Amino acid sequence: MALFGRHNVLLAMLLFAAVAPSLLNAYYVFVANTILIYVLLAIGLNILVGCAGQLAFANAAMFGIGAYGTGLLQVQLGWPFWLAFPSGAIIATTVGLALSLPALRLSGLYLALSTLAFAQFTQWVFLHWESVTFGAGGFKTPSISFAPLPVSKTLGLYYLSLLLVIILFFLAQNLMRSRIGRAFVAVRDGDIAAQSLGVDLLRYKALAFGISGFYAGIAGGLYSAMLNFVSPEGFDLFQMVIQKAMVVVGGLGSIAGSILGATALVSVLEALRAVKGFQEIVFGAILVSFIIFMPGGIIGFLKAKVRGWEEPLHRGPPGKRVPIATPSQSGEVRS
Amino acid sequence: MSDALLSVRGVSVTFGGVKVLNGVDLDVKPGEIRGLIGPNGAGKTTLLNVICGIHSPQQGDVLLDGVSIAGRKPSDIARLGLGRTFQTSQLFRGMSVLENLMTGRHHRTKAGLIAASLNLRSYREEEEQAEEAARRSLEFFGMSEFAERPGSALSFGQQRVIEIARTLIGDPKVVLLDEPAVGLSINRLAEFDALLRRIRDEKGVTLILIEHVIRLVMDVCDQVTVLSSGSRIAEGPPDLVRNDPAVIEAYIGKDLRARHSAS
Repeated sequence: MALFGRHNVLLAMLLFAAVAPSLLNAYYVFVANTILIYVLLAIGLNILVGCAGQLAFANAAMFGIGAYGTGLLQVQLGWPFWLAFPSGAIIATTVGLALSLPALRLSGLYLALSTLAFAQFTQWVFLHWESVTFGAGGFKTPSISFAPLPVSKTLGLYYLSLLLVIILFFLAQNLMRSRIGRAFVAVRDGDIAAQSLGVDLLRYKALAFGISGFYAGIAGGLYSAMLNFVSPEGFDLFQMVIQKAMVVVGGLGSIAGSILGATALVSVLEALRAVKGFQEIVFGAILVSFIIFMPGGIIGFLKAKVRGWEEPLHRGPPGKRVPIATPSQSGEVRS
Repeated sequence: MSDALLSVRGVSVTFGGVKVLNGVDLDVKPGEIRGLIGPNGAGKTTLLNVICGIHSPQQGDVLLDGVSIAGRKPSDIARLGLGRTFQTSQLFRGMSVLENLMTGRHHRTKAGLIAASLNLRSYREEEEQAEEAARRSLEFFGMSEFAERPGSALSFGQQRVIEIARTLIGDPKVVLLDEPAVGLSINRLAEFDALLRRIRDEKGVTLILIEHVIRLVMDVCDQVTVLSSGSRIAEGPPDLVRNDPAVIEAYIGKDLRARHSAS
């Protein structure tokens, strides 16, 4: 196996993540935890957009629904985090499933617009349903405790996030190389042909939306617990752009790429936090240059240049054709 | 005819006031290779689209092995044993040839979310069987060396052959081929009628093909149905159909008739 192949690099990243809290100060642990949360968001979004090809803009809203769901169930109903957290994720999953209904009739730009409208509507509810959501000012969530485990809240949440990233990464990876992953790609690459092979469009679009809703909901619950605070502005259009950028920079349709994209972009955003106005500019520049120069994302580059990054369901960079079939051994040229 | 495997009965389709199909009947027996020909705009592709469920007919019915399929979802019809290929290449560009073929097993496999994401044994066994079927199929078509290539790296003609393979791998009873010979090289075309017969004989599949390469239709088809302006104008063995005055008039045209009598 190649030394710098996917397996080794991801394993090194995992080992670093496992010991990071003892090496880093509190701020960097916060950044590392943010990366873990964005990895979940990027994986979920990549399954929907990169694999199933559904150009949806509701992921930030579902992230918000997970955060609000987890937070509000604790604050308004007094539920413990351990109950509110999975419930928040289930709510986000349900919303995701419901969003697949318009997706059955719409595609491309129209799907993008309708999901964008849904995201704005969600934002409006967060802002204006003050009796429940506390409006524009947001609300504090109770600090969670990991007792009887002997860890602080920060460390406990960090390792909970890491555990969930590991589990959900492997589930996603397995899923994408299965018949379900192939059905997603089939829907993306040609929905008429997919149907003629027995792929039920409604079922697989709903599944993709539901999975991305679930991942975003889990991320939202962790996010609300990490910040101890939930407010509408964290889930606006810029949030959506950040997540989309992670998927594009990492590599559309690649689960491992989602990890790389989320890590790279959170790092860049944090590095530029001191120069606030600059953040958006650099961010836009990264996005544009990736779309123009590296449409396959980091993973596309690695697959082309470094041994050991091959993936099932490989997506060649759009427009670039792999060398055409060479004549076979017998010298016969097939048509 | 009650012994028909696929039976189209009085199907009419109208698009915005234009009658594209006008009470078309078609009965295809098991094991038959049926040609469907007619001038451009005759309604051939529309008829295939009705059979495979992309369009629902305003009137009439379609029976597959005695089960009514008109108006059902294409994915359900595929599960009932109907496969098809398209005029333009519909290979999934993001998958290798092997993965494309394995997708053809989709409705014959059943691993769900849990079995697949947890990599359970039932799923792994199913996956192995699908891969084995895909490799066997590549062997059947003599294209084993293309297994790991991305679908988009194949020539147009190769993509068409893989598409036929991808449909057959799902064990269909009837396969609809929409102009399968388009994009084939001269060499491939020469072997193509033998290939179609092999598919029928070894896989036990009934074939219905739309084709403009008349030589292929005349060589390989047991029966030929001629559509013109949405109606069936002739049907029978190739030799009878090719000499049918209505067909010559409507389809082959005067120019060819002149050449025909000269030869």
